[in-house]
Amino acid sequence: MLMPTPDQDVIERRTAICTALRTLVPATCVIDNNEGMRAFDADGLSAYRQLPLAVVLPETVAQIAAVMKWCNDEGIKVVPRGAGTSLSGGALPLADAVLLGLGKFNRITEIDYDNRCVVAQPGVTNLAITHAVQSEGFYYAPDPSSQIACSVGGNVAENSGGVHCLKYGLTTNNLLGIEIVTMEGEILRLGGKHLDAGDYDLMGVMTGSEGLLGVVSEVTLRILQKPATQRALLVGFDDTSAAGKAVGDVIGKGIIPAGMEMMDGLAINAAEDFANAGYPRSAAALIIVELDGPEVEVNALIERVETIMRDAGATSIKVSQSEEERNLFWAGRKSAFPAVGRISPDYLCMDGTIPRRRLPDMMVRMASLSQKYGLRVANVFHAGDGNLHPLILFDANEPGELERAEDFGADILRSCVEMGGVLTGEHGVGVEKRDLMTIQFTEEDLKQQQRLKCAFDAGHLLNPGKVFPHLHRCAELGRLHVHKGKMPHPDLPRF
Amino acid sequence: MAVQVASTLDDVKALVNDAIAARQHLEVVGSGSKRGLGRTGNYHATIDVSGMAGIVDYQPEELVLTLRAGTPMSVVEAALAKAHQMLAFEVPDYSHLLGTGSAGTIGGVIAGNLSGPRRLTKGAARDYLLGFEAVSGRGELFKSGGKVMKNVTGYDLSKLITGSFGTLAVMDEITLKTLPKPETSCSLIGQAADFADATKQIASVFATPHEPGAAAILPCSLAAAVGLPTGTGDACTYVIRLEGIAISIADRAAHLIAMTGGQTIEQTPSEALWADIRDVTLLDKKLGQDLGKCQDKKNIHDVWKISVPPADAAGVIGKISTNNDDITYFADWGGGLIWMTGGSAGLGQDIRNAVAERDSGFAMLIRDAGTASIPLPPLQPLNAPLLSLHKRVKAAFDPLGVLNFGRMHEDV
Repeated sequence: MLMPTPDQDVIERRTAICTALRTLVPATCVIDNNEGMRAFDADGLSAYRQLPLAVVLPETVAQIAAVMKWCNDEGIKVVPRGAGTSLSGGALPLADAVLLGLGKFNRITEIDYDNRCVVAQPGVTNLAITHAVQSEGFYYAPDPSSQIACSVGGNVAENSGGVHCLKYGLTTNNLLGIEIVTMEGEILRLGGKHLDAGDYDLMGVMTGSEGLLGVVSEVTLRILQKPATQRALLVGFDDTSAAGKAVGDVIGKGIIPAGMEMMDGLAINAAEDFANAGYPRSAAALIIVELDGPEVEVNALIERVETIMRDAGATSIKVSQSEEERNLFWAGRKSAFPAVGRISPDYLCMDGTIPRRRLPDMMVRMASLSQKYGLRVANVFHAGDGNLHPLILFDANEPGELERAEDFGADILRSCVEMGGVLTGEHGVGVEKRDLMTIQFTEEDLKQQQRLKCAFDAGHLLNPGKVFPHLHRCAELGRLHVHKGKMPHPDLPRF
Repeated sequence: MAVQVASTLDDVKALVNDAIAARQHLEVVGSGSKRGLGRTGNYHATIDVSGMAGIVDYQPEELVLTLRAGTPMSVVEAALAKAHQMLAFEVPDYSHLLGTGSAGTIGGVIAGNLSGPRRLTKGAARDYLLGFEAVSGRGELFKSGGKVMKNVTGYDLSKLITGSFGTLAVMDEITLKTLPKPETSCSLIGQAADFADATKQIASVFATPHEPGAAAILPCSLAAAVGLPTGTGDACTYVIRLEGIAISIADRAAHLIAMTGGQTIEQTPSEALWADIRDVTLLDKKLGQDLGKCQDKKNIHDVWKISVPPADAAGVIGKISTNNDDITYFADWGGGLIWMTGGSAGLGQDIRNAVAERDSGFAMLIRDAGTASIPLPPLQPLNAPLLSLHKRVKAAFDPLGVLNFGRMHEDV
């Protein structure tokens, strides 16, 4: 992975830069020794590591603004970081950039039950929001698998999803307002506790912008009342195509489950070895369907789903009869990643999305790619929304295997786009999928996105080297080719 | 003013490039049903995009509908009904309010980010646009998003284009997320001492697991006008919609009746009531006149759409009514969306002031009757840093102001 060439002038000014930063934040909030910085040298994409120029851990929004403004004035790059759980390298440091850590912003500032929202600092963990409101029966819906550790500011930056986003949406659908600090050090409030405004939806475009447009300094999140009942079905199929079709049948019959997950044979067995969840080992595919809502509704829908699954050719169906059993059904799925970690020294987790009806084609394609690269692949899907998580198994100690696994992964993502899907459903582009962006987007598409970046950060100082494969200077992007007085299409009828 | 018809994005590209060369401003119009929204501008010509219409691909089991932006809402609704699906944000039809003939096109709905009662629990138009293809004010074709439900690849320009009033780009093909239509619905009718009490009671219903889907508040005079049981004086009637399978709504309604002492109305009258709330025709019923067909300009008043946190709504209304005793209003979104009309010359400024006093809120003049003592900008003015960012965002897509220039704010 080629990152932008570090600016040697900035690196040489490092001592002076740290001295200046210590005038903007308390001295102890600047870390510049290698041991201290080591803790920040990677995020969840741990194959890539880099020590930053310095780590700054501000304590107030005013300090964030001061650091940003100073860096902007001095032409120094900034990489924002929440909890560092990104799976795509969104928070990977750069050698010539200040790493701005938001870990000290860990307070929930307001719980407002009347307006059903929580106002929190960006470093608060996702799960802490639910913990703060569950005594009143409320919860925060987006539940990325890292929810115990990931921060809500990072959730906004990555537009994080989770297993329940089929019914409850991603972060962007559960966000009411944010406060951001721009690269110029300006503090802006976007949205609020009210619903729609009538301006450009800058909050919407900040969400999922991977830390390239601004630093999130506060969030206002919508909370929901917890459903009265949750029940799950565990359904086995001896054929992945039939399983894929069954998923479509459930939705086609007008049922939107809270979650609908699918695993293939290799993943089923790895998970069963790990969690003893009672998964059908001989099944080629396993579907977990969770329904939530009022008890009478859930019980009625469970019956309907059971019928749909049986008609679709299910070879085994189990319905949870208790909370313990429902949790057990999930235990296997939730431990799928570590379980696969036990059967292989290393694995790469991919994250493409395809139109759900292409699932059978994708399974065939994946099997043939697996043969081509000589590497095994275990499949875990958010089947309801077509989001795939193929886990490519490899051994990093075998020379060339990492590269082979990465090529395999790139081929899977190419196939996703070819089948009408996208490169990433929830993990983000970061550095991991940066160079694949041209598969999905034309040069013109990418230039238009970068023009938006220029509106927020004209110097390309905020988190550069992420998301976009080619950096264009804003002046170049803004140039307009005007053919003065020349009609581009003289034959077009004009009224 | 010249009208130029575009039936493809190539046509749009050519027209925009001509306008760039001639330094001209263009107005982009579909059916024209929402032309009255936003500021009026001086345009050299109009691009008519209503011909860029038709459903391209609809896969109900995928919950994905791809269609061209000029597709009339009637066509969209018919296709969805056939598959027992819906656009969950519940497209409102303001044509009556705006005195225009039809519900317009899906492109107009997206350009205005217009959402109905279900917005409270299921999200806005902006939450359902998955991707689009468009020509920018630079005369360049670009796409964003995709045709799948879960996608975080690149900036989410779908959010930005929704509600941008055609100031950034001209859309052609758009992809929307659809959802199954609820099998049935009913409404709970409850009584409150006043508006503040109604928002509190609604909040307490939302603190139960009985899944209220929409909530409106009608002052007693308005409730009486549509034949709902109600009180007198400050009393308000609130309406809570429940949707789902029959066995579920019966169960939830029973719980909520026990909790609130309210009563329910069946699906048919409930749907009619919510259509009046969604399309704001409720105001007509109270005023005893047909706002849309009213020819006598003197009888037409300004209509405002005010978005505030639900718990602030009573305070905002109280503040406005101190200077305006002739206002008529009701609220959707649990109190968070207030529709207000009135004839006094200072009403608009009082609304703007009442909203600006709060941390969070937005007031938009939806129908300008020209009665205000000082003309007000239709959109709530932005503070200086936000206006400057809006201008930079506009310039990123449309540096010369070719498309709907000034429709939202000055120079935006």
